[in-house]
Amino acid sequence: MANNSTAEFQPRITLLYCRQSLAPEVKPVQGSRTGQGFSVRLVLLPCSSKVQLPHLMRLLEQGSDGLQIAACPEKACQHLVGSTRAEKRLNRGRELLEQVGMGAERLGLERGAGLSLEDLMQMAGRRADAARALGPNPMKGV
Amino acid sequence: MSLRAGTKLEKVLAAGHFALTTEVGPPRGPDVDAVLKKARILKGLADGYNVTDNQTAVVRMSSIAGSKILLDAGLEPVAQMTCRDRNRIAMQSDLLGAAALGLRNILAISGDHQGAGASGKLKGHPGAKGVYDVDSMQLISIIKGMRDEGLQAGGDALTSKPAFFIGAAWTPLGPPIEFRVLRLAKKVAAGADFIQTQAVYDIKAFAQQMAKAVDMGLAEKTAILPGIIVPRSAGMLNYMNNNVPGVVVPQELIGRMKDASDPQAEGIKVTLELIEQVRELPGVKGVHLQAIEAEELLPEIINQAGLSPRPEV
Amino acid sequence: MITAEWKPIEEMVGYLRGHKKVLVIGCATCVAECAAGGEREVETLAPLLAMAMQNDGNPVEVKSATLERQCEPEFVEAIAEAAAEADAIVSLACGIGMQLVAERFVDTPLYPGVNTTSLSLREEPGLWTSRCAACGDCVLGLTFGLCPVARCAKSLMNGPCGGTRTDGMCEINQDTPCIWRLIVERATARGRLEDLTQVRPPKNWSNSPAGGPKRMLREDLRS
Repeated sequence: MANNSTAEFQPRITLLYCRQSLAPEVKPVQGSRTGQGFSVRLVLLPCSSKVQLPHLMRLLEQGSDGLQIAACPEKACQHLVGSTRAEKRLNRGRELLEQVGMGAERLGLERGAGLSLEDLMQMAGRRADAARALGPNPMKGV
Repeated sequence: MSLRAGTKLEKVLAAGHFALTTEVGPPRGPDVDAVLKKARILKGLADGYNVTDNQTAVVRMSSIAGSKILLDAGLEPVAQMTCRDRNRIAMQSDLLGAAALGLRNILAISGDHQGAGASGKLKGHPGAKGVYDVDSMQLISIIKGMRDEGLQAGGDALTSKPAFFIGAAWTPLGPPIEFRVLRLAKKVAAGADFIQTQAVYDIKAFAQQMAKAVDMGLAEKTAILPGIIVPRSAGMLNYMNNNVPGVVVPQELIGRMKDASDPQAEGIKVTLELIEQVRELPGVKGVHLQAIEAEELLPEIINQAGLSPRPEV
Repeated sequence: MITAEWKPIEEMVGYLRGHKKVLVIGCATCVAECAAGGEREVETLAPLLAMAMQNDGNPVEVKSATLERQCEPEFVEAIAEAAAEADAIVSLACGIGMQLVAERFVDTPLYPGVNTTSLSLREEPGLWTSRCAACGDCVLGLTFGLCPVARCAKSLMNGPCGGTRTDGMCEINQDTPCIWRLIVERATARGRLEDLTQVRPPKNWSNSPAGGPKRMLREDLRS
């Protein structure tokens, strides 16, 4: 990917976040937002353990440039091992994405507690940086 | 006592001598000279020479061909036969072929699993289909049936009975330890005339297993030859202790090799002591002495152990 | 259950080059239980295959379906329409299910998405281990309910070989117990070690896969 074209590429990120990871005063939001050099669709989950590979793979097949999961700290999961399991599934997903030539870095997970909307946007931004390095999702517009 | 096959090994044992067997690994090529070179070093030193059967699943000259080369060179072979690569049809056919070539000592073993992996730089054949149609116990009984009844495993008659002196292996110190002597008893019941054991370093533990075998009357029904592998370094002993199932090496022995200024000389000394120690155990009828890839050490060891010259029988 | 595991996606891509409309199918029984070919795996693989083929320069349209049972003709009928539209089928069922589909839709190439590997038990979440080898001559009555045919690397019938590790595991896999060690332990616990001292004769393999294709006929059930 030539430098000038990556500079123009504005990754489209899907951020799936656990409701419990938000600070109590933050009102959960859904829908699209624009960040610095990327756009993001925010998807609210009751727990990060709800992420399943079929869903993640469909999102990428449909053209999302990167997927970021926001989960609670490992010991703070309301379902005890929910976010740990989610992370294991995610790692499998990353391996598979590498195998199909999409790049593992299109999928990632970050943990945090008491998150603000700004924190979520920053997480999305970091996934956008990773996606930018990989270039646009080849499935876009297919 | 009438002899089963009248091999030199059998006669030495029948005459009550302390028997000595060793090993000749065939080359990874059709190199007669490689076999003959080892034969020259070892000729006259032992009563029987085991020829291994594709150990660690690395292809080598067949044990039957290697055995025949030794036989022609005046050494009495013990042809090893594993259950890994042949079904009962091929095994019996090869046994008849071996008998036709004058090979009469056969050691029946399960064989290293093809997936257990070759060591060092060798790849082996982990993708090979293991056969294991019969196990070593069943192979022993098949050989016995051919010899004593003149019958194939399937029940058909052989045109004449091949004479075999049947050997088997024993791992006295592997888990489940309480079953190991019972398994030896099964091999004896199946027809094992002689037994070569996995390498023994822990004499105390081996002595306990031997005592049980003697109590069960096994040492009279079969000739037990404990295996002794010449240690050449602390590293080698450590490796065997950690990686070769059934081999237990006392830590003080490893330490002794580690502290030795001349490990080779110390290894020879240790070997001589081990031979002396097993020789004193009731029921032990000989030793199976190996110096892996260092056959040139054997003449000196055998001489110093007072095991040379071999008895004329 | 019958267990299977995904083939490398690269191998599936090799099969699918030149095709345009691919139907990925699964089976909701054994292969679902072993997480190789149930709905979840089908719906994971279908988008992955679309991405893999796109990146390979051979874009395909991928559809998916998971059958109740891929080894029963009436359930296979459920995909008749989808199969008619596809020019290739990738099946995540065991070899039995795959072959029924291949037989039913004989003009559509069928490719395996999995390797069928064993008859196993789900021992723990995410861990399946062999229990049966379909040897056709069950010996469990002689071995205290533990199968040496499937669970001993050498299918030994007369006790453990010399390859039992100090910790009681098998020399070919440090996480697989020497099944003969377990058989001996169970026999000892029952006070029946004596039972294992009898020499078992060579096994009759003629009723196993080694004896040739199986044809099991029950006249009382025939129409």
